[in-house]
Amino acid sequence: MELIRQAQAGSRGAFDALVRQYEHQVLRLALHLTGSEHDAEDIYQEAFLKAFRYIGNFRFECSFYTWIYRIVTNLCLDQLRRKKTRREDRAVVLDNSGDEIDVLASVSDERSYSNPARELDRKVLGGLIQAALGKLTPRERMVFELKHYQGLRLRTIGEMLSTTEETAKNTLFRATKKLRTQLAELRS
Amino acid sequence: MNCELAHERIVTAAYGELPDEQVHELERHVRNCAECGTERGQLLALKVLAEANPVIEPDANLVARSRRRLEEALDALPPKRWYEWLSQRMVNNFAALQAAPIGACLLLIVGAGAGVLGGYEVTQSRAAHVAAQPEQPTARPKTGLQGAEIASISSIARVPNSEMVDVTYNQVVPQRLEGSLDDPDIRQLLLMASQNSEPTSVRGDSVGLLVAECRAGHSCQAAGIRDALMVLLRYDQDAGVRAKALEGLQPYVVEDVRVRDAVLEALMNDSDPKIRTSAITILEPVEADTSVRQVLHTVANSDENPHIRTVSRQVLSRVPQFQ
Repeated sequence: MELIRQAQAGSRGAFDALVRQYEHQVLRLALHLTGSEHDAEDIYQEAFLKAFRYIGNFRFECSFYTWIYRIVTNLCLDQLRRKKTRREDRAVVLDNSGDEIDVLASVSDERSYSNPARELDRKVLGGLIQAALGKLTPRERMVFELKHYQGLRLRTIGEMLSTTEETAKNTLFRATKKLRTQLAELRS
Repeated sequence: MNCELAHERIVTAAYGELPDEQVHELERHVRNCAECGTERGQLLALKVLAEANPVIEPDANLVARSRRRLEEALDALPPKRWYEWLSQRMVNNFAALQAAPIGACLLLIVGAGAGVLGGYEVTQSRAAHVAAQPEQPTARPKTGLQGAEIASISSIARVPNSEMVDVTYNQVVPQRLEGSLDDPDIRQLLLMASQNSEPTSVRGDSVGLLVAECRAGHSCQAAGIRDALMVLLRYDQDAGVRAKALEGLQPYVVEDVRVRDAVLEALMNDSDPKIRTSAITILEPVEADTSVRQVLHTVANSDENPHIRTVSRQVLSRVPQFQ
């Protein structure tokens, strides 16, 4: 609390300490959502600049972690929306040499969900999942990310996205349903 | 339960967010419904598949690069102008006034009273001084600055062509207030003391008294005491103060979800193992909340502290007995 108060009073040292405390979580989330170090770096930069500019508005009504995550999720949502408008449908991942490979083309029909580890190369499978995640709306993608990968509670997710727990729950339901449909289509 | 509702609940159950009573109901339904059984199987398969796209820790180079870029950008920002600070403070103060109208009015009245009294005292002492020494109206009072703390300087006037200066200043007059712990004024002062960073002993005493009030069930919500304790639990640097705040919140962990959230955060993030252990004990009565159980599972499986892992496991092992 003291660090936050000092940062609110204009202490750059205190703000730097806050950055160090939360930067790993911010980068981890941005990196996983955007899949690009460059985008993650931009989101990191913009999030902490916003936090610096508006830290005076933080009133201790929620945890600082929730507040900073709210900024990051909003930036990530913007980024996902921008990507969605210009993304191609083809699912691609980079191989070891940096070349793009079409992961959908490399999956055969016989492969089953019941034993994925043995039947699919993990990298290709990861690409499949990314492709399916890419088909979700930015908001569905964000809720699934925060719940499945970041392990946050729906109540907290609702707070971060300025919505209710019930809405977050419904969005998660829609996201899982779409993902299952997407993955089922990829098999057939 | 119809299948549509069951499908929704299968998702929340898979992520550990379905209350126990609904879990049992869902289990009964799924046992007798092949379609819902398939639905659950597919969801669990999706969860397994999704792990093929794991969360990767950002490497040190990326962290360092991002930090350097941010520092450069922060250095390039122009310093805030005084009116920006002022407007921000005014907005915050207005928000605080909205949040605590009674407390704000009290503070305003106390402040205005102290100001009027201080001004009156200064005027009286100056008048007496002037009457006693009419020939030297600008002489420096010998004892004035050794008394009460100076609150502000009202005016400074230099006598032309001399070294003499006339300074008008206001002093803070210490006050005492004695009353019941249920007295709103006393509670307001205790809250102010609990939020003050210096000295620690005063803060500790005030938090101790507020905690005793909460534990005695004396209306902790209306006066904002519960909120103050949650802020202290989350942010205070003194582990003793945080421990007291946690103790004060214990009676409300069952009825107030916000309190439960604050205690869960303490369990996950507090730097003091004793506080985290206490948090586990406090959360025992609300284990029906799947969020609580989820956090306990996380702590039991992956916490760095072996004692906390053990305590969490012990508490979790008692869950069936409660049900």
